[in-house]
Amino acid sequence: MINVLYLDDEAHNLTAFRAAFRRDFQVHVTTEPTEAVRILREQPIEVIISDQKMPKLSGVEFFELIMPDYPNPVRMLLTGHADIDAVIDAINKGQIYKYISKPWNESELKGLVQEASDLYHHRQGMASEGAQLMERMNEARLHSTRIQRLTEGQTELNADDTKEVARLAGEVTQLLGSN
Amino acid sequence: MAWGMRIQGIRAVWIGVCFAFVSTSGAQEFIGTRVESLEQSLQPELMGVESVALSDNWNAHVERVPNLGLSDEVKWIRIILDSRTENGMLIEIQNAGIDELTGYMICDEKVVASFERGGIATSQSESSLGTYPTFPIPLTECDEMTALFRLKSGKPMLLPIRIAGPREIIGDSHQRDVLFAAYFGVILVMLLYNLFLFFSVGDRSYLEYSLFILMVGGTQLVLNGYASHLQIQALPWLNLRITHFFGVFSGLTTIVFVQNFLRLSRYVPWLHKLLNFYFVIYLVAFVLAIFGQLVWSYNVINFCAAAILFCIPGSIITMRKGYAPAKYFLLAFTIFIIAVLVFVLKDTGVIPYNAWTFFALPLGSAIELVLLSLALASRINQLKKESAVAREEQLRISQLNERMVREQNNVLEERVKNRTVDLEEMNSTMRTTLEELQSAQQQLVQSEKLASIGQLTAGIAHELNNPINFVSSSAQSLRRDFEDLNEVVNAVKALEPGMDDIGSKVNALQAKLAQLDVDFTQREIEELLNGIEDGTMRTSEIVKGLRIFSRMDGDNFIQAQVNELIESTLIVLRSNLKDLATVQCHLAEDLPMVMCQPGRLNQVFMNIITNAAQSMEGPDREVDDNEVIITTALSESIGQSWIEVRVKDSGVGMSEGVKSQIFDPFFTTKPVGEGTGLGLSIVMGILRDHNAEVEVDSEEGTGSEFIIRFPL
Repeated sequence: MINVLYLDDEAHNLTAFRAAFRRDFQVHVTTEPTEAVRILREQPIEVIISDQKMPKLSGVEFFELIMPDYPNPVRMLLTGHADIDAVIDAINKGQIYKYISKPWNESELKGLVQEASDLYHHRQGMASEGAQLMERMNEARLHSTRIQRLTEGQTELNADDTKEVARLAGEVTQLLGSN
Repeated sequence: MAWGMRIQGIRAVWIGVCFAFVSTSGAQEFIGTRVESLEQSLQPELMGVESVALSDNWNAHVERVPNLGLSDEVKWIRIILDSRTENGMLIEIQNAGIDELTGYMICDEKVVASFERGGIATSQSESSLGTYPTFPIPLTECDEMTALFRLKSGKPMLLPIRIAGPREIIGDSHQRDVLFAAYFGVILVMLLYNLFLFFSVGDRSYLEYSLFILMVGGTQLVLNGYASHLQIQALPWLNLRITHFFGVFSGLTTIVFVQNFLRLSRYVPWLHKLLNFYFVIYLVAFVLAIFGQLVWSYNVINFCAAAILFCIPGSIITMRKGYAPAKYFLLAFTIFIIAVLVFVLKDTGVIPYNAWTFFALPLGSAIELVLLSLALASRINQLKKESAVAREEQLRISQLNERMVREQNNVLEERVKNRTVDLEEMNSTMRTTLEELQSAQQQLVQSEKLASIGQLTAGIAHELNNPINFVSSSAQSLRRDFEDLNEVVNAVKALEPGMDDIGSKVNALQAKLAQLDVDFTQREIEELLNGIEDGTMRTSEIVKGLRIFSRMDGDNFIQAQVNELIESTLIVLRSNLKDLATVQCHLAEDLPMVMCQPGRLNQVFMNIITNAAQSMEGPDREVDDNEVIITTALSESIGQSWIEVRVKDSGVGMSEGVKSQIFDPFFTTKPVGEGTGLGLSIVMGILRDHNAEVEVDSEEGTGSEFIIRFPL
């Protein structure tokens, strides 16, 4: 189930959100930003939804605050009123994925959370794939270095070396060739 | 008058000038050459009269009219008489001004008769024959008859002496009397005439002229020996000095008259000043006479007589300067000076001595006076003419002035008209500008309103969207929860007592309950219902607040509850204030209603509360510490009940400079583009309409408090 964190100073909103989405997502709600940070630390949160207008700090400010430590969760801003300044700030500073206005449409919000989760996983996947590729590239580079060392300054290779080079070349081909 | 004495001064100047004078009367023979005078060194008083006559120190005179000069010493003269031919005749000394005059008739060294004839003689043994002192030559038979005279006087002793028979003397005396009477008549007529003129015309110069005439006449009277007719012998002190006094006063009146008549101060200022000098000198002569220095006094008077000569050049200069009356004046004085000449010349024998020459002086004086009178009339005419000319000139000038004023008026009117047109144009321009300004102001006020409405809308939208959000969301969630519960309820409904395998069905139901987590669902339903309830309540509260806040009976005064207005304002402002400050309200219960425009008062509260919250905005401040404290209370002061609203913050506060300007339009402390600067000026306008009082307490760095009092 998708792990969603929802931060809002209005407790009724939290109740309503949990009631609406507890069947579909793993819902975490809180009215306190500090509690939200704690949840982020302890739970594998994929999607963060925050209200913009809160007494102690705004949604954008909250996102700015957590970004260095938790850059991966996809951020969505929820606001009661379309405030152009908040939108500009949200895009420039908070790197928001989506901007949702109250009152939310349940199915729409559900879709958006799902999309965000997909994005999250996609990003995660891309990241791990890239890592695997990098690993194979490094191994291939290692092999090619050994080939280089064996063949360096030689006009003719002995049989063992020839066999070894052929083996390494085959491995490099395998490393780079396969997906 | 003074002229008579001036002879002395003028004599030296005019002597030797020939003058033809036709005599109509027989010549009078003066016997000056027979007169002998005594050396001064002798002391005749001690010697006895006879021995004086016999003295060897007699000097003969050569003049027809001997002049013994001016001295207060006693003089003696003698005349050797021809006892045969001159018996019974009279010796006449034609000088009435000798103070002491005693004549002794000595026959053969014996005094046979003596006569006191002096002007101050207290007792006259016999009355003198005629006006002048006369001495009868006794009819005694003598070998040698001598007339001896003792003389003493403070006046010049000019001695025209003749010997004549009584008939001749009386005849001449009568002739003189007649002539003098005629002269005096002229004097009196002139005097009365000019006095009359003075009283009728009121011109000062007539009075001066009258005084002048009086003095001239008086002097002639005295000089010609008629003083005795005034019974002056009774006053010896005055009698001694009367000639001097007349001399002084005729001089003074002459100076005053000449000065004013010739208008010397205007035409010949230097002569005017010179005559003033002579005026003072005359006063000196007067003082000398009073103190008995008669000879000195007479000398000073003589010295002053020269002043008359200045009248000739003075009148000529004045005439040249176009002053016509000076002509008469010049003529009058010339005639008078000629008369003086004749008088002098007859004494020196150049022209015969007769009644006419003798009377040249009074005659000249009379002619002079008449001419001067004419001159005066001419002067008056001249003055009249001048004043008429001056009046005409004045009239002309005033007409000119009037014309100029009229022209000036036209110019001014024109200018005023132009200015009026300009002003009207300016007025209409200003009116247009004013209208533009007013519409700009209205637009500004409108935009301020719109800005606050925009702000409000944002806040209210947020305030409304929150409950709407959770109410609608909760409703959907509730439906799902109820579906879950319905499933259980339906399963329970399906159960019937006595059913087969009831036990397994119950077990299945139990499993279902566990699967649906009904306990949680029930708790959730409870929570959701709470939320819906709360949301609905809040929504209706907001709507009610909004209704109160934006009551559009706006400009009508109605009874309203201030607390209610503040609460509604706070509802509307809640979301705007949320991230700025917390609000503490201390609203007094049971406040009376206030007659107000609720819509506009809400604008006031919104403005002030927002300002209070914004004054505490800042990155280094915690919202929990930012408190806006709103207090309402009923207060009493100066015999009046007020509803007092206080809005206090702990923000940045204001300096005195800022505080004094906050109600000025367009004054703002916010950055450009964030505030119109109209908020508090609109607030002030609204509060003024409510007769409310506003007080602002503020300290920089500590916070501000707005106190508004509404009269009840």
